[in-house]
Amino acid sequence: MIGAFNLKKYFPVRGGVVGTQYLKAVDNVTLTVRRGEVVGVVGESGSGKSTLGRMLIRLLEPTGGEILFDAPEEEMVKYREALESGDKESAEMISRKYSLLRKKGSELRKLRTRMSMVFQDPYSSLDPRFRILDVIMEPMISTGYLRGEEARKKALDLLEEVGLPRAFGNRYPHELSGGQRQRVAIARALSTDPELVILDEPTSALDVSVQAQILNLLKEFRRRKNITMVLITHNIAVVSYMADRVAVMYSGRLMEIGDKDDVLTRPKHPYTMALISSVPRPRPGEARKRIVLKGDPPNLLSPPRGCVFHPRCPMAFHECGWTAEEVAEDINYLVQGKYYNVFGDNVKVIPLQDKVKVEGANPESIKKVLEVERENIRSLTAVKEVTEDSLLIIHAFQEPKLYKESERRSVSCLLYR
Amino acid sequence: MERVKERAKVLEIKDLRVSFHTRRGVFKALRGVDLELYKGEVLGLAGESGSGKSTLGLAIMGLLPRNARVESGEVLLDGSKDVLKRLRDYGSRDVKFDPRKNEKLIKRLNKELREVRGRALAMVFQEPLTSLNPVLQVGYQIAEAVYYHDPMRLVRRAISRNRCTQADLRDLMTTLKTKGEEALIEEVEKRNLRGLEEQILSIWRRQDIHEAKKEKLILSLDKHKLDSKDRLGISIYLRGLQRVPVLGRLAKDALIKEGYRLAVEILTYLGIPHPEKVVRMYPHELSGGMRQRVVIGIAIVNNPEIVIMDEPTSALDVTIQAQILELVSSLKASSNRSFIFISHDLSVLAEVSDRIAIMYAGKIAEVGPVKVIFEEPQHPYTKMLMDAIPTMDKTELKAIPGSVPDMRSPPKGCSFSNRCPFVMPKCKEMEPPMVEVSEGHKVACFLVGERK
Amino acid sequence: MEERTEEGKYSNLILSLKVFFSNRTAVAGMVIFLAYVVDAFIMQFDPRLLGVTNPNQFTYNFVNPVPQPPSSQYPLGTTYPGINLLQAILEAIRVDLGYSMLIVVGGAVIGAVVGILAAYVGGYLDELLMRFTDIFFSIPYLVLAIAVGFALGRSFTSMVIALIIVWWPIYARYTRSLTLSIKESVFVEAAKAAGASMVRIMFKHILPNTLPPVVVQISLDLGSVVGVFATLAFIGFIPNANTPELGYLASLGLNYVQSAPWTVIFPGLAITLFALSVNLMGDGLRDVIDPRRRS
Repeated sequence: MIGAFNLKKYFPVRGGVVGTQYLKAVDNVTLTVRRGEVVGVVGESGSGKSTLGRMLIRLLEPTGGEILFDAPEEEMVKYREALESGDKESAEMISRKYSLLRKKGSELRKLRTRMSMVFQDPYSSLDPRFRILDVIMEPMISTGYLRGEEARKKALDLLEEVGLPRAFGNRYPHELSGGQRQRVAIARALSTDPELVILDEPTSALDVSVQAQILNLLKEFRRRKNITMVLITHNIAVVSYMADRVAVMYSGRLMEIGDKDDVLTRPKHPYTMALISSVPRPRPGEARKRIVLKGDPPNLLSPPRGCVFHPRCPMAFHECGWTAEEVAEDINYLVQGKYYNVFGDNVKVIPLQDKVKVEGANPESIKKVLEVERENIRSLTAVKEVTEDSLLIIHAFQEPKLYKESERRSVSCLLYR
Repeated sequence: MERVKERAKVLEIKDLRVSFHTRRGVFKALRGVDLELYKGEVLGLAGESGSGKSTLGLAIMGLLPRNARVESGEVLLDGSKDVLKRLRDYGSRDVKFDPRKNEKLIKRLNKELREVRGRALAMVFQEPLTSLNPVLQVGYQIAEAVYYHDPMRLVRRAISRNRCTQADLRDLMTTLKTKGEEALIEEVEKRNLRGLEEQILSIWRRQDIHEAKKEKLILSLDKHKLDSKDRLGISIYLRGLQRVPVLGRLAKDALIKEGYRLAVEILTYLGIPHPEKVVRMYPHELSGGMRQRVVIGIAIVNNPEIVIMDEPTSALDVTIQAQILELVSSLKASSNRSFIFISHDLSVLAEVSDRIAIMYAGKIAEVGPVKVIFEEPQHPYTKMLMDAIPTMDKTELKAIPGSVPDMRSPPKGCSFSNRCPFVMPKCKEMEPPMVEVSEGHKVACFLVGERK
Repeated sequence: MEERTEEGKYSNLILSLKVFFSNRTAVAGMVIFLAYVVDAFIMQFDPRLLGVTNPNQFTYNFVNPVPQPPSSQYPLGTTYPGINLLQAILEAIRVDLGYSMLIVVGGAVIGAVVGILAAYVGGYLDELLMRFTDIFFSIPYLVLAIAVGFALGRSFTSMVIALIIVWWPIYARYTRSLTLSIKESVFVEAAKAAGASMVRIMFKHILPNTLPPVVVQISLDLGSVVGVFATLAFIGFIPNANTPELGYLASLGLNYVQSAPWTVIFPGLAITLFALSVNLMGDGLRDVIDPRRRS
């Protein structure tokens, strides 16, 4: 149905001493959605999931990459292979035929009838000066899908379909509650009978009991009209309820993608594991091992090198992208704190280029500390060797790619190379 | 369950009724809430928006807006202190409600409660950015919280550290190592060094550094003497001159400086890396999770007995939420504090609470130990709410039909009757009373009463 | 909250009125403002109701040209040359109010279009238009108005044009900032996703949402425009000698200000009172559109 290939979105951030920097909101994301499927995109704030959704519907122009719309599956596969093998000619041929990014003007407007979006906050996504009926009619009229009386009739029918009385058509958004507004937003999104609907956190602004109503409504529409959906949310439970496939994003990159049951019951990427185990469960007293990630998601202006997740990853190892600074900080922490009795006051830890200098310490005791702490403090795995003069050499790193685990499962983690 | 009964009540709410007078009408936010909080427990307060759960939190704190009328009810702290008396005396009178008059009373109440807040009560709000001042360093904000509530504590800390000698510290260290914390506190009293013990213990209780390092840090406490300016400031404060313009500034500066040291200790306790740097940072330089930790730090720095947390994790990501929940659990374990944890998310409450109260339309629908509430819910609303939460392993969600009643004219009888599948004629006539079904488990529903 | 559904169709309007009428000073301002408007309408359509025969001219009385103090015959006294001040002020209000309205609304319309265009299209057009407004801001407005009026000649038309030229940049700036915030709102994004064209978004979504604050701004500005308009008339930008205009009326008594202060005080008071009333009313209107005041 729709396929994004190596999609990128960099926002320029001006100012500061360093000049213009780029905030990599979405970096090299490849995601294909089959017809009739519900794909859940999960991630925390700043993971780029909303930016991705807005690019798919061309509310934001990607910085790089390609989006193919309504291409047959073989063509998608071919395009991907062409990209991988560097076959520019055949890639160009396919993209000319199906590219969403090359559509302009009336062509694009026509495409707009085939895809739509439901936004997170039903309080701001409806124009306060529009009547409900006008809100629902807007996509039909703007795209020329239906006009006048026909559009009106269709809008009234839609109101009924989303479970609101027809009389609501003459009201203004402020007279409706959150749940009712979100129903209106859904009616608007469905007014041009789209094949693809992007749902950006459709229920996170709503109360639990209303959330269930909206989710069931969406599920019902999906069953009746076979609509393809991309469901963007931070709530794994919602994805688990709605989606067929799940894509997990972190810091603008795709971490893992696969069938819902597969991903949620057998997460492969350490981030997915942590994410799933962080979700609170309504079972008090249930004994379970929770992985609590340390620290915060990275600054997108200067993401960590190698795998973006490695500084928080409980399973990271030597090739994940550790820098001398990261290693030095952890060693310093140990030397000053836990192993103060071994090292005393006169040890200095200095990060150098791919090396860490530990002044005034015995290499043997450093080795011993590394040996013991390696399991808990993952950055220590990056120390390749400790030289005679207490110089710690750091391993070379590798950038993870999306590795194919099985036919329908890919993971972006070096553990699955 | 036996233990619940034995524990002391730290807070008791009796038949609390609060309404908001707005231009759109009078909203009855709380319609007779009875609740108690025991020492050392986490009480989860669940409800949808409009259920009155946040109003309840604000009412306990005495932080109601000017248009809130306290029609009846009591909020008793430690069994005696009636927080809202002043407002109730006005609100329960049968006169036309004047928000301006109410505002004056609230102002007076705030002055009274200033001393109570911090010492007995503290609150953590949902959005950490709004409860932190963007132009002040976080250390300053923590220091100020202490300065306003317990300035003498800062004075004691500073003076005791200034007075102690290396010999004192060595003796205290030995006492601590051989006889434990209780003995240390006694010994400090004996040497007239009060204020030093919390500094020693905050180092001693750290888990992340080696004993040798702790010892070194404690023994070096006497190196951090006051400079002449701070000594002057503190002596000004002790002479009661803190209200004199220029001198007062000196006194405050000196105490705030001490407060920064305390802030570092608190942040270390809350597990924030590099606390010495963080205290010098401004709120916008911190991530959401860190900010919420700072807000929690401000709330607990005065060692309040009760901490009310209003949706403290709702604005945070799941992985950060997990960190904060972990923190709350460890705070509960390490102190004898009581928490009221307000959230719309039952799953979050399941993780942290000892007891849960479910609110609907300004009343408590059901309250009981967390296990009982989740495993054998009795009230139809609780049951339906449980069925409506999406979880990882649910394949079907049963939505609750209908909508929350209009709180300007709540229905007669049971407020859930218009959505309840088991509704009986008498539900529309009478309000169901709270019935105790089992030890500590109370339900307000006729269905339960019938069976009994 | 699944509530607030059973509210009347006009609930919003009723609420707005409630908010406005709860502000007493705003209501006082509105009463004074309405008095001015009623006076202007009477002068326009049936001046004889107030005993005026020709509202386009002052009635001179050269028999007794020296200003007379207030008396039962002349409640506000007279000014040179023998003009009944009360009657003159009643006549002059029409002119001042009418032209001020024209200036403010004219300036607001031009400014709003420029502001929305600049903000919505953005880029170089925005840069260009905003630097253009900077030019106007860099010259003191009275000097600019005098220069324009001087170039166009002494007539009301040229005064109006001069003041519109002075006033529109303020509105351009204001609507631009309003548009910038509305442009980022989700409902505009939703309209884009629905395939709405730029023109449709600008005029169907953005313009109606910028209007209420602009209207408030207009009511706040009306007072200062009357002041500036009267100032220009005061210093002599008046097409002919007996045009009823408040600033000009004040200037007539200038030579007698020491012996007959009322000749200057009363016309000045009429201007000040008007400026005050529209400001008070504007404050009330601002409350109405402020969502925080509505709850």
